[in-house]
Amino acid sequence: MHNAVNRATAVLMLIFISVMSVMLFFGHKDKRSERENRELAALPDVGLSAMRDGSFAKDLEHYTADHFPLRDKLIAWDASIEAQISERIVNGVYITGDRLIDTGASDRESADRSAEAINRFRENYSGAVYFVCVPTSSGVYAESLPPYMQKNTESRQITALYSSLSQDIRRVDAYNILKMLNENYVFYRTDTKWTSYGAYCVYRTVIQKLGFSPTAYDKYTIDHVTDGFRGDLYNRSQYSGVKPDIMDIYRCSGGAEVLGCVGSDEQGNTYERQLYDKNGLDSDYKYDMYMGAPLPLVKLTTSVNNERKLLVITDDFGACFVPFLTQHYSEIDVVRPSEMSGQMSSIIDPDKYEQVLFLFGIDSMSDSTIYEKLG
Amino acid sequence: MVYSSLLFIYGYFPAALLMYYVTPKKYRSITLLILSILFCGMLSIWYLAAMAVYIAVNYAACHIIGKYVRRPAAALPFGAAVVFDITMLFVFRTELFTSFQKTIKMPEGFFPLGISFITLSAIGLLVDVYTGRVRGDSDIVTFILYFLYFPKLLMGPLMRFGSFAKTLSNRRYSLRDIGIGMTIFVKGLAKKVIAADSLYMLYKSVTDSGLEDMSALTAWLGITAYVLCFYYTLSGVSDMGTGISYCFGIRLPQSFNYPMFSTRIKYFAARWHIQAVQWFRRYVTKPLSGISRRRWIRRLIFMAVWGLFGSWYGMSLGGAVWGLIIGAAVLAENKFSRNKALGITGAVYTFIVTAFAGVFMAGSSLRDSFNYLLVMLGGNRIFADSLSLYLTKSYIVILLICVYASTDLFRNMLMRSGRSKLRTAVGAVSPLIVLAFMVLCTILMSYSGASEIMLIKM
Repeated sequence: MHNAVNRATAVLMLIFISVMSVMLFFGHKDKRSERENRELAALPDVGLSAMRDGSFAKDLEHYTADHFPLRDKLIAWDASIEAQISERIVNGVYITGDRLIDTGASDRESADRSAEAINRFRENYSGAVYFVCVPTSSGVYAESLPPYMQKNTESRQITALYSSLSQDIRRVDAYNILKMLNENYVFYRTDTKWTSYGAYCVYRTVIQKLGFSPTAYDKYTIDHVTDGFRGDLYNRSQYSGVKPDIMDIYRCSGGAEVLGCVGSDEQGNTYERQLYDKNGLDSDYKYDMYMGAPLPLVKLTTSVNNERKLLVITDDFGACFVPFLTQHYSEIDVVRPSEMSGQMSSIIDPDKYEQVLFLFGIDSMSDSTIYEKLG
Repeated sequence: MVYSSLLFIYGYFPAALLMYYVTPKKYRSITLLILSILFCGMLSIWYLAAMAVYIAVNYAACHIIGKYVRRPAAALPFGAAVVFDITMLFVFRTELFTSFQKTIKMPEGFFPLGISFITLSAIGLLVDVYTGRVRGDSDIVTFILYFLYFPKLLMGPLMRFGSFAKTLSNRRYSLRDIGIGMTIFVKGLAKKVIAADSLYMLYKSVTDSGLEDMSALTAWLGITAYVLCFYYTLSGVSDMGTGISYCFGIRLPQSFNYPMFSTRIKYFAARWHIQAVQWFRRYVTKPLSGISRRRWIRRLIFMAVWGLFGSWYGMSLGGAVWGLIIGAAVLAENKFSRNKALGITGAVYTFIVTAFAGVFMAGSSLRDSFNYLLVMLGGNRIFADSLSLYLTKSYIVILLICVYASTDLFRNMLMRSGRSKLRTAVGAVSPLIVLAFMVLCTILMSYSGASEIMLIKM
């Protein structure tokens, strides 16, 4: 009896292991994973230094993991099993009943150096500077997180950042606006970022500071372009138990038109862009529908006839915010320092604008290298 | 590369098995040697080179000692080699020799896995050669395998050279042994991937929350997770090694025999890391006890050696305190309750002792450990709070499973049931259970490709 059991175990396991390893060795290897929205690891090169510190084996391990047979299915199961057996945290993503939340927020480093860089920009610039720091969903839904992650909340991080910005930078308290409205659909369920509606709610306050009165909500016609958006938190956790998100397009009926929308890179190549680019919905990361894949600079011209020019320095959060501004300025230039390798001064001259609006997610504020490009 | 990685399980391991079994029996030791060198080289070429030097020094020392065995001339090479081995342990595992680490070009942040076991193996061998139990001019292949044999490289079991050589030459090639090996391997894998990794998460959540306003319940949850994780990491990795070795027909012993929740602390001490405890008894306690016949001195030595054993784990003062607490508890138990079988109270008592000892093993300094201990005893005047309830809710199931699986209750139930239906039923489905756990562990490793968080690196 006992012998037979052991033999059966041996045969079963040997078959299983060999089948899997044959599939691993000879199976088809994709370059990219759509579900995770990232490039998969390439076979590492055999190099002396990589062999020396053990990174060769590490890379080979990553390669094996990325090209393991049935990986997509396995990681999806992994997410649901892990969420069952311990805390509901998978790869740093906390799973609540109805949304995914990034758990990394409480580990963020201080944004002091970024604030210094922005203050330096302020000193060399003569116009008015506005600053909006946007929380991620981890901040707005902080109370859903486990208790031990509620010490260094985004609310605190934003307060700290605002207090280290120079006095004459005008700040907008986006956190409390969004926090008050967090029963509404202001943040995606599967992404760290805000929805167009969240952006609209903050826009109402920002535009008043900039000196205009906001366009009323009922002037917009809203298109639900997709209800199948799965954001960065899904890419990371692969947890499919949370409903995919809806993406909206806001068009102001009877309002100003966008006449031109031209993006350019640092080499001076230009690209035709749209505020809402439905081709983005077919890409791996549907959020690119907002203004298309990120570029260092996008120049917008509108039918507004007031000769006002605005410089917006922003990150991903700006992409769905900028469309609301087009009702108020004849020209808006949108700069994304995170997409630049050189200094900002090589692509635009800030002194040509009377107003500059900074709009950044708190999640990119600890990385001061982005802000040191402001010159 | 650790055993609990997809690369090892579905790449290296099947390739190694294939290579091993296509080699004619006569040359299989050579194949093992090549495989072990490859494994070590995958960890790091530098490590392989360092090990080559290390083994050469020990090999030369054994030769010289063997030549002058039982003569005073042997003492010098013996002493020198022991000092060398111990120094290397400190060089590799502590921060005391950073400049020397740079001189020998040790890669930054590199941890030579298994060095703690290799050191003890080397010293044990030197003593055995010195006392004439083992010949100095042993077979070079066996000698290298004694150190580098890859199934025991990472976490033992710690064997004497003689018994290792015997095991190596007494191989049994059968499907049955492969079956046993696979079962043990998957058991170890599950211990690491399911139990240890979940427990580590719990422990991490507790320590991340900070001590200042921690409740007593949280502190107890944290230390329970730590103690169990410590056990599951050590026994999981060594089980995997033992299992792999069985697949090559080489029957390495198992290192743990359900020590947690033993009914007496004495049993805990006897079932915990069996070969390592034996090593310390054989090579440290016994020779030292020869000094004096007085009882209190012997007790002191007993405790001190447990302290030494503990510090071998963590290379820290805290580790030593862990050992001293266990040692003292064994002595106290012997004194106060000689032959009483202590049922459930005994198990609770063992757990409390191991938990208190665990606080010191876990802490980064003695001061931290004392503070943690205070919190466990209610020093913050909070018994439970929202965090402790949240953690209890999240982890209670896995925690209870881990507690149950760490005891011998299930095994005993099977044993007692004799030839009954239960045993037959469990036997009949066991191949499927093994496969199911293998699949489950593969799924759990699928995202990162490995489960390599080590609570303790040895």
